[in-house]
Amino acid sequence: MAVESDVMEAAGPYDRARALSAFKLGDVTFYWITRACAISVLLILGGIILSLIVGAWPAIREYGLAFLWTQRWAPSADPPVLGALGPIYGTLITSVIAMMIAIPVGLGIAIFLTEICPIWLRRPIGLAIELLAGIPSIIYGMWGFFVLGPFLANTFQPFMISVFDGVPVLGTIFAGPPSYLSLFNAALILAIMVLPFITAISVDVFKTVPPVLKEAAYGVGCTNWEVVRNVVIPYTRVGVIGGIMLALGRALGETMAVTFIIGNSFKISSSIFAPGTTISAAIASEFAESDGLHQSGLILLGLLLFVLTFFVLAAARLMLMRLEKKAGN
Amino acid sequence: MTELSVSVSNASGPGPQVALPEAAPKVTARGLNFYYGEHQALKNINLTLGTNRVTAFIGPSGCGKSTLLRIFNRMYDLYPGQRATGQLMLDQTNILDPKLDLNLLRARVGMVFQKPTPFPMTIYENIAFGIRLYEKISKSEMDGRVEKALRGGALWNEVKDKLNASGLSLSGGQQQRLCIARTVAVRPEVILFDEPCSALDPISTAKIEELITELAEDYTIAIVTHNMQQAARVSDKTAFMYLGELIEFDDTNKIFTSPSDRRTQDYITGRFG
Repeated sequence: MAVESDVMEAAGPYDRARALSAFKLGDVTFYWITRACAISVLLILGGIILSLIVGAWPAIREYGLAFLWTQRWAPSADPPVLGALGPIYGTLITSVIAMMIAIPVGLGIAIFLTEICPIWLRRPIGLAIELLAGIPSIIYGMWGFFVLGPFLANTFQPFMISVFDGVPVLGTIFAGPPSYLSLFNAALILAIMVLPFITAISVDVFKTVPPVLKEAAYGVGCTNWEVVRNVVIPYTRVGVIGGIMLALGRALGETMAVTFIIGNSFKISSSIFAPGTTISAAIASEFAESDGLHQSGLILLGLLLFVLTFFVLAAARLMLMRLEKKAGN
Repeated sequence: MTELSVSVSNASGPGPQVALPEAAPKVTARGLNFYYGEHQALKNINLTLGTNRVTAFIGPSGCGKSTLLRIFNRMYDLYPGQRATGQLMLDQTNILDPKLDLNLLRARVGMVFQKPTPFPMTIYENIAFGIRLYEKISKSEMDGRVEKALRGGALWNEVKDKLNASGLSLSGGQQQRLCIARTVAVRPEVILFDEPCSALDPISTAKIEELITELAEDYTIAIVTHNMQQAARVSDKTAFMYLGELIEFDDTNKIFTSPSDRRTQDYITGRFG
């Protein structure tokens, strides 16, 4: 017995230290693995930026800042003339129109689903939204090309022209010959594509509003609309804006569907029913056959898209900070 | 009569247990039942909330006292599958009428919850928000109303210099008084308190109890509480509920000194609950 206890005493501290050191090794490994994962993100991001800059360098040296406000895109001229104004304009316009449509509709669906919808209708609508998110973008492109394009050109645009003809500004926005391929067609498809993002994220954050807070608002006599407007949205605005930004990021960068239906014209037209192009559509449709300065110009376009997205995200952060300040936090 | 009852209350120690004359009925329940889906949570409730009286609801957890409170302003309507049957009148209005304007009902029957629920906006806006739902008034008039409500909530002196701070920046007790002020600002007739002090420290609790006593001068008050002393301190009448039934409903004095039902006796002496 005594011997046994001696052995225990001798073995006890020794085993314990060893067990601890084994844990320690595991912990150190864990620490370095997670750290490596985190650092790899920075490396990948840095690598992408670097390779974009290297690839775009010949074009930057050739055109300088004028690249930003030159409208002419003539890669086969001698020497080639390349300007990014058309694609930048197209990217911004299609995204802005898409968000103008998708934000109210997406939020409307989310509010209906969480606040108003009877239970039996909740699943079908929710499922439809999820399916909408699952449709590959090429299918949106085809649908836009074969269905939406003809409808817009033959029915919608003539209607808008008949309503707004002669009205300054609005008249020119809707004017022009009918075309299946147009900025507006692309914007509409983009709106449908980003809609599920806005709805899904909004639904998730709306569900985080404590029921008692909503009850309190209903308790002072608020209507559905007043509860949403004054309690649900203010309480969840960070999440909602996050969803909107995610959607905007997707709209800015969406390529396949847009390439299909935007018409790939670098000429800027005052009408939203005229063909145009976006940065990603321009790259997708020309990159395969490009070389030399032309290719470098396309890479520079890519770099611009990168910067554009960065500024959008930064602007969103700034907006959030100002909102929080206004709410008194 | 009044003099007599005052002397009775002095004899029986501190507290508002004055044998008040019967008040005019404000809310009347007759044969009220309530169902969560198939489960019957309230069985044949009959009681009256007297005008400008404080009525306390006590009973073990799950006995249905909060459920009862939530029928008074139809809060249960927000949730599908919950329904009430029987008769429940607020003066001449049938509260259970499916065609009743719920926003209007909830303006007449305000509610303060267990946890403080300030809205995600400034202190000023928390009050002005409710008023704006019903009235279009000028900025200066609104300032006056907000101040009056905050005074009514015994909060004015603590927040008058930071009306533009977020309602969430206040302490728990202050938040709860903000919620009371917000409820008062809408000028309801009845105020429901659903365990208003259960998340608060003793000092905040004392402040709120004092406030409830003051509010009873202008409002009809129903309060659900787990705190027997609190019920004894603030209420004129007390209802003891058990397993969805109203066991005993009488003057607070009587309930706490000589209850007529065995179960009430057991509960207030802490033998079960």
